[in-house]
Order: sequence, then structure tokens, then C-alpha cells
Amino acid sequence: MGGDPTRSLLTRRLVVISGKGGVGKTTVAAALALAGARAGLRVILAEVGPEESVPRLFEPRPRPVGYTGRELVPGLHAMRIDPYEALAEYLALQLGVRSLVDLVLGSRPFRQLMDASPGWRQLITLGKVWHLEQMRDEGGEPRCDLLVVDAPATGHGVSFLDAPRVVVSAVRAGPLRRHAAQVEALIQDAGRTLLLPVALPEELPARETSELVARVRSEVGIAVDRVVVNGLVSLPAEPKLDELASRLSQLDKTPLPGAPPGAVLAACVRYLAERARLGAHYAGEIARNTGLPVLCLPFLPAGIRDSGDLAGLAARLLDDAGAAPGIPA
Amino acid sequence: MSAAGSDFVARALLTRRIVVCVGCGGVGKTTVAAALALEAARRGRRALVLTIDPARRLADALGTGPLGGEPRALPEAELRALGVPPDGSLSAVTLDMKRTFDGLVERLNDSAEARKRVLENPIYQHLSDALAGSLEYSAMEKVYELYERREFDLVVVDTPPSQHALDFLEAPTRLIEFLDSPIVHMLIHPAFSAGRLSFKLFQRGTRRVLQLIERVSGLSFLEDLSEFLLAFEGMAEGFRDRARKVRELLVSRESAFVLIAGPSPQSVPQAEEFLARLETHRVPLAGLVLNRMHLWPGTAAPLELSERELPGHQGALARALTGTGLEADAAAVAARAALEMATGYAALVRRDGEAVRPLEVRALSAGRFVVQVPELGDDVHDLAGLARVAEHMLQGEQREGAGRG
Repeated sequence: MGGDPTRSLLTRRLVVISGKGGVGKTTVAAALALAGARAGLRVILAEVGPEESVPRLFEPRPRPVGYTGRELVPGLHAMRIDPYEALAEYLALQLGVRSLVDLVLGSRPFRQLMDASPGWRQLITLGKVWHLEQMRDEGGEPRCDLLVVDAPATGHGVSFLDAPRVVVSAVRAGPLRRHAAQVEALIQDAGRTLLLPVALPEELPARETSELVARVRSEVGIAVDRVVVNGLVSLPAEPKLDELASRLSQLDKTPLPGAPPGAVLAACVRYLAERARLGAHYAGEIARNTGLPVLCLPFLPAGIRDSGDLAGLAARLLDDAGAAPGIPA
Repeated sequence: MSAAGSDFVARALLTRRIVVCVGCGGVGKTTVAAALALEAARRGRRALVLTIDPARRLADALGTGPLGGEPRALPEAELRALGVPPDGSLSAVTLDMKRTFDGLVERLNDSAEARKRVLENPIYQHLSDALAGSLEYSAMEKVYELYERREFDLVVVDTPPSQHALDFLEAPTRLIEFLDSPIVHMLIHPAFSAGRLSFKLFQRGTRRVLQLIERVSGLSFLEDLSEFLLAFEGMAEGFRDRARKVRELLVSRESAFVLIAGPSPQSVPQAEEFLARLETHRVPLAGLVLNRMHLWPGTAAPLELSERELPGHQGALARALTGTGLEADAAAVAARAALEMATGYAALVRRDGEAVRPLEVRALSAGRFVVQVPELGDDVHDLAGLARVAEHMLQGEQREGAGRG
């Protein structure tokens, strides 16, 4: 499915980051956006979902960015796409009468209808993404070079990307169908658009990622050419950890503060060794099942503490593109 | 955490008929739900776990394939080996959302023709997979069905991973509100409602809405939608009645909710939101399971070494390691690696402890139990693994961390 793992992530116009909650999706989205901004691109980082997680990765005292958004670091404009705000904007553009739109959106029956209706949130959100991609300045140049979308964590992320196609097949005619077709064309344009799945190297996320890639290929038609595997524990090359653990276990008491038994240190060594082994195993499984190169990011025990940590991840995202370091066949 | 906490878990498993495990995705909810059901079986109850999307090996261990739908009992011999007495049993079922929803449509429609009309409506077919809250609704619908059948003493429910806390509680209400809403009546009986005085007040706004939808979406969509709603209308009463019963059961003394949370930065705020929402829904929360915690092996505090003193400690540990037969150079390398990993692990332990503290404080001060289950890596994919999780939940004060023998 279109895509080229050797091509830099920064050469796309639109990169959609997908993954289940807790896999570090937002962190990867923010790192990629930061990498773009540092490379001199004008980047829009758009969050989708009920709450904002991006600002706290950049600011010690995060303030909301909202629908309009604001610049978090030079060149990086962050925003959150709220479906109702996007709907209001869309309808106002369609009808040209904002007051009518506000009246309608403020009406209770309409809210009830919308709250119970599936699909439109995804569609309108993608519509806004399309709109952002289309924005041009006075000189006719694109307003932004790179658009990074942090997709919703619910489901497999496929229903989100699939909304335009469903509308095109379900609605027979009219402006909605036409607009959905435009959005679908952007999603399926491998030259402009890329899906970047993020996974943790654990059983369930590994399986879900393989399923996501398979479904995306068969149903959505968005390009996907690499997978980010986040949170890999790396270990010292020397010594042999099994042997280290068994030697430590021989010490009844260690000469450390509190004189912990050697078995305690051995347990720590075994735990991290096992975690590193599992990480490599599942990263390899993802690579095998998807047939895609895996881009590994390190496990950060303390999480993202400041933009320096984020910049480190950003560098890894670009450096490692296309490589699958240390994955056993 | 405390012995009292474990008693609480045990009591809930023995006295309730429904235990609902709630929490955000990725915290091991399915595992905890299955472990609780196994523990109930070990205490002589006929237990069932309803899972939503189990990891494959866990599903294999529970014997629930992707096309579950009906509860399957686990082999008696395996259960006996894990200490389940003859009167106890464990069954498992994986929720098949589409089938559950179709089943509901079939139950609520007397006439075969009406059933057919709903099931074959293009909108229903397109949307029943994605119908707002239908996964959540289906889960609760299935719980009620199983409860009514009375084949099990206890049903432990693994809820869908939902970003919006408690969608599964709110979904039925949302669906009913929608079915009751004036706009639906307008769509179903435009002529009828137009003549009624009570509709006059919102009618202007509603008509505008409909015109707007028409202009944007094209008329065909509205036609299909109205046909769908008309077909659905016949079921609305049964649907409403059913949803009310489900809700009543969930807030009754027969049910208990257990909140599962992990120490990750995403999990903790979401769990706090869950706690707040459960309170406003007056849902009977029994307690909090902190899953996948990094716990320190041993009884002392996690190792903490200052950068400045590190070389000294390394040297001392290296000397101790030469006592195990290592050469001085190899011992220095080994000591450095051991300290790096032990302090790294200790940092994880401290981070997890600090992350969950606000949750713990909040749950304990509300009189809820709090238990901690260690991160068990890749171990929990069979019945023995589930038994270990259950033991951690019921073991009270014993703490066990990285050690896995």
C-alpha cells in the first residue's frame, strides 16, 4: 500500500498518528511535530478527542490551546479539533449565515440528534483536517508544511479514517457526499498522506497493531510504511544478565545503604532483562506480521519531563527511519 | 494493600451477583475481571466472566474464541487443579456486539415482518456496528440476559475501553432520550406532530434543523433515517423498559463496581474522572485495583543512591562480587550493571507509587478498598497466571515485586 519507508516523515503533508490509549501516541505526535518545526517547517499539530494532552508536553504549567490553537514553540501551532466547533464552522461556510447556525446548534433537539448520531464526529474532524491542509496564504502557498493529527484512541482508529468512505457509499448525492469524497481523496493520496501507527511491545498492542495495518490496507487505502514501537528497554551489553542475577543472589547482604540482600538486586536485573527480551520479541512480531520496518523508541522510566526529552525522541524518529535495530528475525 | 481491603474483595465475590470492572483501556481490566471470576469459583461459586476484547492467549486460556456468544465452561480438571471445589465453576463468554444487538431487536419485535424491517434497513446495517454507545449498551444488555438466566451465581463484567467514563451506564439513557426526542417524532410523524400544540414551541427550530440537514446531506439520507426510526419505534417501549431494568440492577445491592487503574500518566487522571463520575451516578463502587504496579522486591524502601556516592557503592559491590569468583575487572562491570538496573527499577517503583497516591488517598478516604497487583510481565495468559493475580488481590499486606523466581 503506497508508501516508502526510506522517505523522511517530514516530506508528507499529513501524518495521522494512531494507536490505543496509553501507547504514547500523543508523545510521538508531539515529537514528530517538534522535529518538523526544528527543521524549519510550519507545523500544525491537531489533537482529536475530549481532552488536551499536548500542552503539558511543552509547558510546565499547561494552558489549553482550544480550537483556534496557538504556537507552543516557534513553528509549531497546536490545536484541538472539537467536532461541534468544526461543525459550526462547516455549516457557517456552507450557509453563510452564522446566526442561523448558532441557533440550530444551540437547539436541544438538534443536540440530541447529533449526540445519538454516529460517524459525523469523525467525518467533520477529518473535514477540518482537509480544510487545514487546503489553507493557502495570499500568495497561494500552503499555510502549513506539515499537519500532524493525533487520532482518537478509541477503537482501532480505522472507523475514524473510514468515515468519508462510508458516507460516500451511504449518501447518494448532495454536498455532503461531494465533500466526503474530497476528504477521502486526501486520505488515499500516498504522496501527501501517511498513517503512522504507534504500538507498545506487548501482546495485546502488538496484535492490535497488526490488525490495524491489515484493516487499513484492505479498507481505508491510506499509506502506511512503518510502525513506531515505543518503550523498548535497552540493556547494557555486558555482562550476561542471567549470570549476573545468579551471582547477586549469592550475596546474603550487599554493602549498599540499608544492606539489601543480593536477591533484591537480582530481582531487578531479571525483571528488566525479561522486559527487554519481551520488547524485542513483540517488536519483531509486529515487523513480521505487518511486513513493515519498525522504528523503535526507548523506554523512558521518568516519562517526558521537558522539551529536551521530547527533542531526543524527535531525533530518534527521524534518524531511525526505515531501520529496525536489534529486532531478531 | 490492607487485610481489610482483601476481605472486601472476598466479600464482594461471595455476596454479589454482578461485579463490573471499569477503567480505561490498557490497564489489564480483562485480566483482573477473569482473575476475580476465578477466585469466586475457588470460593465455590458458579462464576462467569464476560470479556470484551481479550488478548488472544488469555482468550485461548478461557476457551472463548472470537465467535463466542454463548458461555463456555472451563474444563473441570483444570479448575480442580487450581483449587476450585466441586460446587464451584468458571465459564467465560466474549461479547459479540452485533449479535447481542440483533438479538435485542428480535426479542423486542413480536412480528417477524417488523424484525425484518429493522434488520434489513440500510441505516441499521450501516450503523448498528457503530451506533453511538452500542458496544457499551450491548455489554449491559448481555449482562442482564445472563443475570436473568440464573445459571451463574456471579457474573464478572469486563467493560469496553471507553474514553468517556461510564459510557456504558449512560448509553441506554442517551438512546432513550434520542428515541423520545421531538426531532425523532418529527421524522416519524411529520404531519401528526405538526398538528399538535405542544410541538409548536420547538417546531420552528426543528424544521429549520431538518431543512439544514437536507441541504447539507441530500434528501435520501433523511428518508432512510426516517424509515429506520419508524421501524425502530415499535420497539421503543420494550427498549426503554429493558434499559431501566439494567440500570436498576447495576445500582442495586446485587452489583458492585471495581475500578481498575494503572500507574501510567494517562491512566491516573482518567481513573480520577471515573471515581468522580461513579459518585455522581451513585454507583456502588466497592474498591480500587491498582494493576501492573512496579513494586519493590523485599521489605525495605526502594534503593536510592546519590550520584556523588555512586562510585563508592559500585566499588563496594564489585568487591563483594569478587567473593562469588569474579575477576576484579568483570566484577566492576557487573557491579555497574547491577546498580544501573536496580536504581532504574527503584525509580519505576517510586514513580508508580507517587502516581497512584492521589487515587489511593481518595478511594481510602471514601471507605473503598485498595489493592495492588504487581506488573507480571508476560506471565498472565493462562489460568495459573490468573490465579497469581487473584492471590495478589487477596493477599492483603504481602507485597511482591520484580521477583519472579
